[in-house]
Amino acid sequence: MGSLQKYYKQSATYKIFSGAFIEFESFLDTLGKITQDGIEVIKCILKGQIDKKELIDQCNRFGITSLPITLSIVGMTSIIVASQVALEMVKQGGSNFVGLLMTILIVREVGVIMSGFAIISMIGSSLASEIATMRVTEQIDAIKVLKVNPIRYLFVPRVLSGIIMMPPVVIIASAVGVIAGAVTANLTSGLTYRAFFDSAWLGIYMKDLGVCILKAITFGGTIALISCSSGYYAKGGAKGVGEATNKAVVWSFVAIVIWDMFFAIAFFF
Amino acid sequence: MSIEVKNLIKTFGDKRVIDNISFKVDNGETLAVVGFSGSGKSTILKLICGLIQPDSGEIITSKGDIAMVFQYSALFDSLNVADNIAFALRERKELRKKYSEKDIRNIVAEKLELVGLKGIENRFPSELSGGMQKRVSFARAIVTEPNSILYDEPTSGLDPISSTLIEDYIVRLKEETNAASVVVTHQMSTIERTANRVIMLYDGKIVFEGTPDEMLRQDNEYTKQFVTASLEGPMKMMTEN
Repeated sequence: MGSLQKYYKQSATYKIFSGAFIEFESFLDTLGKITQDGIEVIKCILKGQIDKKELIDQCNRFGITSLPITLSIVGMTSIIVASQVALEMVKQGGSNFVGLLMTILIVREVGVIMSGFAIISMIGSSLASEIATMRVTEQIDAIKVLKVNPIRYLFVPRVLSGIIMMPPVVIIASAVGVIAGAVTANLTSGLTYRAFFDSAWLGIYMKDLGVCILKAITFGGTIALISCSSGYYAKGGAKGVGEATNKAVVWSFVAIVIWDMFFAIAFFF
Repeated sequence: MSIEVKNLIKTFGDKRVIDNISFKVDNGETLAVVGFSGSGKSTILKLICGLIQPDSGEIITSKGDIAMVFQYSALFDSLNVADNIAFALRERKELRKKYSEKDIRNIVAEKLELVGLKGIENRFPSELSGGMQKRVSFARAIVTEPNSILYDEPTSGLDPISSTLIEDYIVRLKEETNAASVVVTHQMSTIERTANRVIMLYDGKIVFEGTPDEMLRQDNEYTKQFVTASLEGPMKMMTEN
């Protein structure tokens, strides 16, 4: 019986299923920790336990330092889309709708989701590696021994800065995206700026702007929370920091796409 | 009584790292905890200061703070020396109310003077030597006037002179604060110069308890092997069967 069990444990079937089970267990574990940390962050915010100086530093990091890369990514995505779409639409007689299409696309999706991706790669990864390094160098243990709540000290200013700074970043990036789209449409198809902007306003309503801001708040908070949580539970040395950073990026990407799908179904289905 | 540990058990996975350990440390006393790497010495410190929870057993500490000096200092690398030392005073609500910024600056200067590092408030941890980082972490640990101080290998990785300096500070802090101290160490000089009593751990159990002199007499086969650094004896390295 013992040898049969040993033989079974060496089989490919056992390895595949046990591997899948471990992955699933790890997924639930991570989800649970992120949820638990999120609840703790909300509790701290509701109790007003906010370090204003640290919050300002984190807002600067989240909003100001990320702006050049965010604007570049959203701007270039708009240029790519406009260069593909504008000429074709003008050829097909749809020149009156180029501005409308580009603006809807940017305000509803491109601006916020591409900003999210830029923030994940620039800020999320940096938050995760910073906190993971603090974990593996026992700095988080030192915070606990000094009787300071690490969630309040580390998570609250970072998550709150994500919530506060993501909307202005997305608004500025979307504006840059629309302008980049107009310039590209003009250069590729000869569409006048007036024609572009005359139609640009037609398809945009307050609801779109509201959903855009709501999405930005959700994405900002989610990215910061996932990144902090991934770093906080890092194990081991340099490898652990790398794994935490990787986890933060992957989980944040998946999470904001899921959130985006949720918003699309909830508001535009 | 400042620290009392009763029937402590801690298991990681299948490995029982701490196996029914009991000891006491009085105020003004320093207990050295020695043993092989992986014998559970650091785990004891983490259990005492609450970083991990025991599976069973009891840890009784007198009211007040427990401070810990970490093996690799664990200074906050994004904060300068002054902010590191003042961290608890600024971040803990009850202490923030008690001390003004001027008080905090004075306390930081006083603690830095105590560890012989006057005037380095604005330096960052990366600008300090290993020995200086250790001393700053001493200053940070005692800023809340703790009743108990835990040292995790305070002299490891330091040159002999820096080690002596650190050992002197351990003795000085004990005298000035009358705190109960637990020092986890491998180094004989640290045991001899700082400890009033020694316990030796092997396989999660206490295999020797006595004074540093008794340990050096090598009456016990475990201490004999430890002191002589011999491969022959009752203690087997983790790689051996």
